[in-house]
Amino acid sequence: MTIALSGVGYRYAGATKAALLDVDLELRDGEVIGLAGASEAGKTTLCLVVSGLAPRTVGGQVRGTITLDGEDVDTWPMHRLSQRIGIGFQNPSTQLSQVTDTVFEEVAFGPMNLGLTRDDVVARTWAALETLRIDELAERDPRRLSGGQQQLVAMAGLLAMRPEHLVLDEPTAQLDPAGTHLVADAIRRLAADGASILIAEHKADLLAAICSRVIVLDGGRVARLGATDEILGDPTIGELGVAEPSSVRLSRAVQAAGVQSDRLARALADG
Amino acid sequence: MAGGSRLSEASATNRGVPDFLGRPGPSAYHRLNPLTKATLATVTAIAAVVIGGLSGPTILVVVAVIGPAIAAGVLGRLARMSLLLALPIALSALLVNVFFFPGGETVLLRIGPIVATAEGLAFALEILARIMAISGAITLFYLTTRPADLVVDLERRGISPRVAFVANASVQTVPAMVERAAQITAAQRARGMDTEGSVWRRVRGIVPIVGPVILGSIAEVEERTMALEARGFTRPGRRTLLWAPSDSGGQSLARWALIAALAALIAARVAGVVG
Amino acid sequence: MAELRVAGLVHVYRDGGVRALDGVDLTIRAGERVALIGQNGSGKTTLVRHLNGLLRPTEGRVTIDGTDASSLTVARLASRVGLVFQDPDRQIFAGSVRAEVEFGPRNLGRTGTDLRTAVTEALQASGLVGEEGTNPYDLGQSRRKLLALASVLAMQTPVLVLDEPTTGQDARGVERVGAAVKAVSEEGRTVIAISHDMRFVAEIFERVIVMRAGRVTLDGSPRDVFAAEAWQALRSTYLEPTLPAIIGHRLGLGSTPTDASLVEAVAGAQ
Repeated sequence: MTIALSGVGYRYAGATKAALLDVDLELRDGEVIGLAGASEAGKTTLCLVVSGLAPRTVGGQVRGTITLDGEDVDTWPMHRLSQRIGIGFQNPSTQLSQVTDTVFEEVAFGPMNLGLTRDDVVARTWAALETLRIDELAERDPRRLSGGQQQLVAMAGLLAMRPEHLVLDEPTAQLDPAGTHLVADAIRRLAADGASILIAEHKADLLAAICSRVIVLDGGRVARLGATDEILGDPTIGELGVAEPSSVRLSRAVQAAGVQSDRLARALADG
Repeated sequence: MAGGSRLSEASATNRGVPDFLGRPGPSAYHRLNPLTKATLATVTAIAAVVIGGLSGPTILVVVAVIGPAIAAGVLGRLARMSLLLALPIALSALLVNVFFFPGGETVLLRIGPIVATAEGLAFALEILARIMAISGAITLFYLTTRPADLVVDLERRGISPRVAFVANASVQTVPAMVERAAQITAAQRARGMDTEGSVWRRVRGIVPIVGPVILGSIAEVEERTMALEARGFTRPGRRTLLWAPSDSGGQSLARWALIAALAALIAARVAGVVG
Repeated sequence: MAELRVAGLVHVYRDGGVRALDGVDLTIRAGERVALIGQNGSGKTTLVRHLNGLLRPTEGRVTIDGTDASSLTVARLASRVGLVFQDPDRQIFAGSVRAEVEFGPRNLGRTGTDLRTAVTEALQASGLVGEEGTNPYDLGQSRRKLLALASVLAMQTPVLVLDEPTTGQDARGVERVGAAVKAVSEEGRTVIAISHDMRFVAEIFERVIVMRAGRVTLDGSPRDVFAAEAWQALRSTYLEPTLPAIIGHRLGLGSTPTDASLVEAVAGAQ
């Protein structure tokens, strides 16, 4: 199940400038692709376009072709696409339905919409809650949780949909390091299940840990696309507003200081 | 990087439907089907208007409001809330009718040119009884039924999940905005906005709050819509319900009986037999 | 300037009865650069909201320069403690960047040249020079966050509190925040920042306070807090030491929380 973008451009309704230009990208089964770039480089826009929300819900104009397993999705309505491609945003409060009184029902909201059997819905919900270690929150009111907890609940709601493809726009922004690990872990497991994931993030260490490839946007265009180590190790990405992973930064600091140490080099290589 | 175990195998324990869903109410009355309780409230309110006199509405209040309230253990709260709800109307109805009832002859009290009459008082009491029946019925329903439960019940009976969602969400709008306003107020106070000063200061203080509340709420609507769409919200057809309030043949019969009784009452009223 | 003192601070939220702070004792001296870290729910935000009076203690006292905070209104405390909230959209209301940044200092009584200078400096620190007339909602999310920072910087309070200033920021944004923190500190003002970014914490701050379940569990320099002896305490609140700290320990070089300190230690050992 591959999502392929070919020469894709996008312009928001009423905008004079294109927000995305000439994007070629393939998301293959089991892949986790990182999306990096300066703020306003087009990361969120790309997330909206890949998930189909742009132009369907957001308006605007898309150029180029987007295909799902070879089939052009141009005419697909949103509810058809959303069953195959899930999308998660930064802000937890807008991702919660606000109509449920318990975390369990909140996470079950998506699967309930899919018309599955009740047992299926319940099983998926527990699986999602357990994966993110929030099963003990099952009875709590989602509206009264902290921002970080709400983000995990929102993520669980997406996981419960078992999407083939998942687009995540800075899902760990509000999370503490523990929450970030949980999300990273969940993403790995989803990928192991065969899903493809596109994750927009500023945290270079997170991208280095879970992504096999990274795409960097600059002014709406693809500035870099390749294997994670290669892209994040490139000394010029700083100009593109992308932070270096801790290990890369440390290596550079060592080099810059003219210090030579085999032990250090080995320790860095071990990770 | 740890090798990922499959998400689909994550739930080794089969935990089943959690028992906290459905949240059975504390009393048998609470546990009645929401539609039953809604029917009782509606029939009571309409009957109170249809039945004339004093004894009719009073009996209604005792039988259809106070009785169930005692059974449900909410009498105290019901009394407070329904009185509060009815107070403005009751007060004005009382004053107008006691003092200005046309055809009142038996004088009770004289304050200058204004006269309180016994007939006026009698009429005022009738109106009061009606008001209490209506506000009591509504309050009883509100205190013993969660709006979400009613919506789920209706959804089970066939209303569209999208409509059900809107019904539930609208109940949320005001609390959500209030919460948002509270957060924004905190941020503005932290920048020196004085909320503890003169009235004029406080009025001026509304501008830095209203803007973000409204704009923010509007901006959120688009994101909310997108998030809902991503969770299959717009998929046509029904959705799987995890639970629904229980119902019984007996309750269904009771509902129809209440409606039939109301119809009969209205017919009797129209025919001039009652009222 | 301002010394902050917190004694036996307990806070129980009325709504839900959660005991968010369970006895906190702290003294923060004027001019200190303090990072407040800990997992979500450990009480960090609750604690800082006591510093400007948005929350009042259930038990205990908060004093600012010897004055009991509970004797001052939030508006009065705002002249001493400026708090930048995590979500800029719960704060920004003006139609232009300039008006937004002016709001705070105006409330504090600044006018004329004083006001203009304060605003200009704040805009410079946050990289928003040239955007004075722009509508805040025409800026991207991360620049709006910098705008929120600017609007509190302009208040020139002796104490500056930042709630997660680097989340959602790209590399340049993080640099700007770090530079702003250093600049404020150089003026002798106190800075307190809540952060999940351990790298940012280790590099910019001289004192790190770790919280867990409403209490302070560690309090020291980055060297102390990221030393191997402290790792268990850190991990119990789901935090990780920085990469240089881990490698420095592995190489037996003591506590090296930052890149620079590790490089120095390696060079020194050779």
